[in-house]
Amino acid sequence: MKKPPAAMKIMPGDYPVIGAGAAERLLKVLKDPATNEKGTKIVASKAQEFRSATLEHVARLEASWTGHDLDAVFAHAHEIRGLAGNAGLIAAGRIASGLCTYVEEIALARAKPKRSIIALHVEAIARAARASDEATRLGDDVARELLTAARQHLAEVKDA
Amino acid sequence: MGATFDHLKALVVEDNAHMRVLLRSLLAALGLKDVREAANGSEAFALMRDMNPDLILTDLTMRPVDGIAFTREVRLSDQSPNPFVPVIMITGHTERHRVVSARDAGVTEFLAKPITAQALYLRIAEIVERPRPFVRCDAYFGPDRRRRVDPNFLGPWRRYDDEFAREDAR
Repeated sequence: MKKPPAAMKIMPGDYPVIGAGAAERLLKVLKDPATNEKGTKIVASKAQEFRSATLEHVARLEASWTGHDLDAVFAHAHEIRGLAGNAGLIAAGRIASGLCTYVEEIALARAKPKRSIIALHVEAIARAARASDEATRLGDDVARELLTAARQHLAEVKDA
Repeated sequence: MGATFDHLKALVVEDNAHMRVLLRSLLAALGLKDVREAANGSEAFALMRDMNPDLILTDLTMRPVDGIAFTREVRLSDQSPNPFVPVIMITGHTERHRVVSARDAGVTEFLAKPITAQALYLRIAEIVERPRPFVRCDAYFGPDRRRRVDPNFLGPWRRYDDEFAREDAR
């Protein structure tokens, strides 16, 4: 065997970990179904707040796109991606995530984004976030179609 | 009345105020009393030096210092009060290269958005119940990235104890 470079393993206990007593009590709390239920209620209680915050970012996303500010478009799409799931706006979050990926990858490829692709994403995010029935097949299908369009353009750019 | 953990301290690093409040509330529901918040990695590192948390929850994408750079600082900086502190990275990103970058910075666990109480509590339980060994080598310092022993692993054998692992695998 080739002589390995200096590398070492440091075991728990050789570095500081939570004390045994506290760890045992904390695990008991973490594994208690009542804790999970309490936490789930907390998450549910915040859904409306997350929905309002998401819709605020949707309005700003649209304004940023109208103002041709791509950095701001990315920033608001990023916020929507982070918030939408906990607002129950699954499709809006997925489409926003697709938009973020597209903008990032296009920038990495040092190419110009297609306006039509961004416009379609912005419109779809807004519709999905505002529709009362956004968690439908339609939302998923739109997200999938937009992902395909974005990937096609990225492939064209990378092949060029 | 539920259990409280007066001596356990947690740090939540997240640029979105709604998400910070949610995470703080979920930690408070466990009985953690001392939960501090920072809006980015730079603020977080300054706060960390002051409070020395037992657990860090951090977002990935933040400005000016993101969660990956922050984690790297926690693990490698001479100023870090505890390079071994568990770091849970919370992210909406699912791209493999981001996950690999975060793992290579020394993240302990990942938590995907949307946040659920169950997923967060499972990650914390994993950290408490099965603290991972740390590995220090020229190119990396952080939790062991090999989570399981792979009997089919053929190398490269890079660690001082790999020879024993190879013997065990036979």
